[in-house]
Amino acid sequence: MTACARELSASGAGLALTRNGGLLEPLLATDPETGELDELQFGLGEGPGTEAMATGVPVLEADLSGPEAGRRWPVYTAAVDGRGVHGAFAFPVAAGAARMGVLSVYRRQAGLLGPDQLQDALVFADTVFVLALDRRRGLSTDLDSVIEAAFVARRAEVHQAAGRLAAQQRISVVDALALLRAHSYSSGRSLREVAVDVMAGRLSLANDHGAAPPTGPHDPKETGPDHVEKEQEED
Amino acid sequence: MTATDRRVREVFIELSDTLVDDFDIIEFLDRLAMRCSELLGVSACGIVLADHHGVLNLVAASSEEARLVELTQLQTLEGPCLDAFNSGRPVQYADLWDETARTRWPRFTTATVEAGYRSVQALPMRLRDNVLGAVNLLSTSTGTLSTETITLGQALADAATIGIVHQRALARQELVTEQLQTALNSRVLIEQAKGFLTHSLAVDVDEAFAVLRRYARANNRRLTDVADDVVQGRLTLPTPGPAEHD
Repeated sequence: MTACARELSASGAGLALTRNGGLLEPLLATDPETGELDELQFGLGEGPGTEAMATGVPVLEADLSGPEAGRRWPVYTAAVDGRGVHGAFAFPVAAGAARMGVLSVYRRQAGLLGPDQLQDALVFADTVFVLALDRRRGLSTDLDSVIEAAFVARRAEVHQAAGRLAAQQRISVVDALALLRAHSYSSGRSLREVAVDVMAGRLSLANDHGAAPPTGPHDPKETGPDHVEKEQEED
Repeated sequence: MTATDRRVREVFIELSDTLVDDFDIIEFLDRLAMRCSELLGVSACGIVLADHHGVLNLVAASSEEARLVELTQLQTLEGPCLDAFNSGRPVQYADLWDETARTRWPRFTTATVEAGYRSVQALPMRLRDNVLGAVNLLSTSTGTLSTETITLGQALADAATIGIVHQRALARQELVTEQLQTALNSRVLIEQAKGFLTHSLAVDVDEAFAVLRRYARANNRRLTDVADDVVQGRLTLPTPGPAEHD
């Protein structure tokens, strides 16, 4: 968070995550003041972060004390008025339907982030997404592996596999992504390779809340949809 | 081979008609990919967009073979689309069996020729100084496209760019980034829904997409909204009957 705030020349950055897609709960903040800015948003139910979470799109506000922001979030802007915070930027910690939370960045000066800072913020949000997935499965992984995973996180196969797992296990896509990521970590194979195997029906991951995969990743036998069905019923 | 002026007009009218307020970016780009192959007399077309990691992602393809060829480019990090994206200029190869093409992109040419294509043209998708992605045109025959065809192709590539950035007056770079993220995120959502349906309907990925699209069209809803409902378990789509296959 501190690195994120520094890179974006921000006064502070905060992370809020949801539990099972419910309300946002502030989790981390660079300082108590930033934490309060986040708390206020989620308490009042309006603000850039709340909006980014609801829409799944980054919300970039150049000036919280400007008239446009005042119209958009009347209660929140009134509450933060006088705190010396102007720029507020919120980035969904999400991929498709898998919305885990929001990364909020606050700046003392008014004005938007530069193109490079904007790109950096989006990379931070992707990295946080992978870290949050790992946290869900109780993994503690090194940063290199997280950055690598954030890099491939947009590949089509990975999301097809997440959708397929969600349907198979009757879990959310967030949990399905966490499961894929945990398997990739424990088997030492790339997220993409694991995803391709799941889509080909060569690999079926049981939702056992552990890091160990139930079946070997190198199962040479093709398993059809029927087989997968049976495994699911045993759950 | 080449399209009539009348058909070109019809396509541009069709595309501008889809650019309404509540339009669906994936639907728009998929339609554009299909129209590109039709109007330009090429066999297939794929559209790739760069994310904030600078990585190109496939957002639309006119056929499954084109999708595979594009994915090969993105995975091997070589091919005309990447060159067009990096240079901001069109890239053309009249014969992929040519020694220069094979030296330049060994893995891409092998995969593409194996898929049945012999020539390729990649056009950058540009907004002012900023390259957002590229449109790739694949032909099963050798030879270059005429200047006229390339001009039309570039106009279609520009239409794709407008589709991505149309929603606001895009004087500001950050809004372009925001729109681009929305387009890429919509694609992610659709991939998740496709994967979901491969299990719940026991169909393959392409059929899953066809089911999604048919439902969205029949109910006049956006593809991304339908995809979201499917993934969140709010909507159960019926198993397609044999007569429903297109």
